[in-house]
Amino acid sequence: MTVDIGLIESLDILADLKYVEMEQLTSLMRKMKVTEGEVITRRGDGAHAFFIVFSGDFMVSFNDGRAITLHNKGDIIGCSTVVAPFNYTGTATALTNGEVLSMPGQDFLSLIKSDPALSDKIMKKINMIISERSPFLGTVTR
Amino acid sequence: MENLLMEFISNTGFAMADYRHIIMITIGIIFIYLGIAKHYEPLLLIPIGFGILIGNVPVFKGLGLGLYESNSVLHYLYFGVTSGIYPSLIFLGIGAHTDFSTLLARPVLMLLGAAAQTGIFITFLGALALGFAPKEAASIGIIGGADGPTAIFLSGKLAPHLIGPIAVAAYSYMALVPVIQPPIMKLLTTRKERLITMEEPRIVSKKEKLIFPVIGFLLCCFIAPAALPLLGMLFFGNLLRECVVAERLAQAARTSIIDTVTILLGLTVGASTQADVFLTPQSVGIFILGAASFVVATASGLLFAKFMNLFLRKKINPLLGAAGVSAVPDSARVVQMVGQAEDPTNFLLMHAMAPNISGVIGSAIGAGILWSFLGG
Amino acid sequence: MFGLDAISTHNGWHMAALGISIVFTGLVLLSIAVAQIHKILQIYDKRDTYIKRIKNIFRKKNNLESNSSDLSLSEKVNGAVSQCRILIDKMGEPFSLPRLINLSEKYGMSHPYSTINDLINAGFIVPDGKGYFLWNQDDKKIIRL
Repeated sequence: MTVDIGLIESLDILADLKYVEMEQLTSLMRKMKVTEGEVITRRGDGAHAFFIVFSGDFMVSFNDGRAITLHNKGDIIGCSTVVAPFNYTGTATALTNGEVLSMPGQDFLSLIKSDPALSDKIMKKINMIISERSPFLGTVTR
Repeated sequence: MENLLMEFISNTGFAMADYRHIIMITIGIIFIYLGIAKHYEPLLLIPIGFGILIGNVPVFKGLGLGLYESNSVLHYLYFGVTSGIYPSLIFLGIGAHTDFSTLLARPVLMLLGAAAQTGIFITFLGALALGFAPKEAASIGIIGGADGPTAIFLSGKLAPHLIGPIAVAAYSYMALVPVIQPPIMKLLTTRKERLITMEEPRIVSKKEKLIFPVIGFLLCCFIAPAALPLLGMLFFGNLLRECVVAERLAQAARTSIIDTVTILLGLTVGASTQADVFLTPQSVGIFILGAASFVVATASGLLFAKFMNLFLRKKINPLLGAAGVSAVPDSARVVQMVGQAEDPTNFLLMHAMAPNISGVIGSAIGAGILWSFLGG
Repeated sequence: MFGLDAISTHNGWHMAALGISIVFTGLVLLSIAVAQIHKILQIYDKRDTYIKRIKNIFRKKNNLESNSSDLSLSEKVNGAVSQCRILIDKMGEPFSLPRLINLSEKYGMSHPYSTINDLINAGFIVPDGKGYFLWNQDDKKIIRL
């Protein structure tokens, strides 16, 4: 399912982007329905896609049984697509039925590499999320 | 042996040439010179100039050498001109090359492109008044569209015997746009008007650019179906450009295809100007009317821009009206040049591209209309 | 034939007038159509917002209906509370959320993912800040859904 720019505009994480930049992202995105219990990313697998939560609740589980839960529209799954060594660090599972926006990791990476301004904006946000998650601190709650 | 030698000498170009060939060869050399030394439309004037040389080397009739002999190589190549293949393919390349953003950002400027097409119809009337047959008059009138491929396309359909002079006149005047237009622009506008700056156009989204060729094609061709061969290719080329996923095709259309066709078109149109069919009183009339049509088209665009300013809150620079005479992108460049002569900080080129491109669409519609009126 | 007579004879005036009118009409219509494209696209792009607005109006009208659906959700959560308490007591605290889901599935809880998600949303299960989870000791004070 293709994605409309209005949908991207509604996401806080991408709110600062210019219209043209949003258009570039939109052209890469696909909307995907997920069902309860569906595994979206598996820890250790190559990070082939980047996901943005559009609706529904998700759990990302890490080593030693640690996990965080994602409940907000705009939450990100699969930051590893743009961070070496490009393997998923967590297993993301849908806790409820929902929808995610997916983007092929390679395309996302090349888009970021090709546009320094866009790269700067997106990487700042992704780094913020990674630093929040790295010690497996707070659950993102409503 | 002596007889054989004499026969050979009598068959050489030197023996067969007369003053008309010399005149045409001189014109060909002037074209090549203007293209190379003065950079006047070199991509067109050099092939046409050399084509004139090819077409005016005196040859035996019946050997299958001349362009008008049915079994000659040049005749087969010329088929692309008379059948309208080359103009359509050139429009494909123009479409794949052109960014319609400025036109989409300020669609009101399209009216200037429409106004400048008045030149076509006034010249048509002028040609009728000078005694040309209606089909010939229509073919001459289209010179005012300042669009070489369109002029060739319509002449090929309505008056194939006039393609040579019409094409040469159209391309000559297009090359001379920087000489013809500025005096008219200065004459019809005040300094205050030429100093008007234009608002920054809004950013046009990718989706708009993608939808435009489809809507533009359907709308224009439903109104004037006879414009289908030209506008169909123009908008198709633009769709290839904007859809991104067919970039290879767009690339081919805007480079190898248009370049190949330009060579063939230029060369064969040049070669069609054989002295015996070109140096006629009719050609003189065509050249005079062609010049008049450029002047009328430019003036119509300028005056209509001034007329629009009577109603617009944010005034437009009337110089933009001169860009309505297709001649992409030369007339837009001339607008920029004249505008900057008054105020070096005034950048009109981007804005002038809107009437310039709509002029291409307008002249193709005009050609379609004349073809449908007289083609039967 | 020359001059105005030639023009009239060949119907030139009509052709010229009609021709220029059609060119103008074509380009005027095209410019009008082009001017609308971005407006239509804007509406299309923001259709989610418009649909939401309409839904909100609809929701207000059907407030009573939604209260009854909250009630059924609350019953589902209350049913899961005791089941999860037993499992958490067995696992010890802080506990691993993926493990709790696995155990719940093993012990036959229907829709373990969404049920435990409901418990998180209702505030029964809270994160400890280190990647594990705790049973909320103040579960009596939790505002039930």
